[in-house]
Amino acid sequence: MIFAKVIGTVVSTQKDENLNGKKMLLCRETDHEGNPLSSYHVAVDAVQAGEGSFVLITYGSSARMTETTKDAPIDAVITAIIDDVQVEDNS
Amino acid sequence: MKLGKIFGVVWASKKVDEMKGCRLHIVQPVSDIGDKNGTPLVVADPQNIGSVGDTIVYVTSTDAAEAFENGYAPVNASVVQLVDEVA
Repeated sequence: MIFAKVIGTVVSTQKDENLNGKKMLLCRETDHEGNPLSSYHVAVDAVQAGEGSFVLITYGSSARMTETTKDAPIDAVITAIIDDVQVEDNS
Repeated sequence: MKLGKIFGVVWASKKVDEMKGCRLHIVQPVSDIGDKNGTPLVVADPQNIGSVGDTIVYVTSTDAAEAFENGYAPVNASVVQLVDEVA
């Protein structure tokens, strides 16, 4: 799983029928402190996240293992909204 | 499976149902001799094996879901062993 910040929504009318009713959010990957990294994901929202939320994204085939995303052609899902991250000295 | 050291905790009250009750750690991958090796990642701990400061073995990819009781969870990595010693 990776950290990300929701930076926008992706809206589309014409899409695969298995994607109907799923909210797509544009997410910027971040490190554990929330500092933005260069990559991004279009992820299905399984936890009612909103713009600006600090979230956890599961990617790859594991992303299909939720009630919201099973049997759908997706490879990234928002699985948690992060309240807090606590780290000890990583040296 | 890889070795890693837990150095942080992720608190998330709103999670998908498949991950309910599962702790989330921030893990620094380490080499076979214990050096830092690569970028940190978030690892699920469905069986409450590790805590901050512990060295653990984690599984990545689809196989990580097997660490959950029903083998079904949207996770990219799971803790499967607590390491006492690498000899």
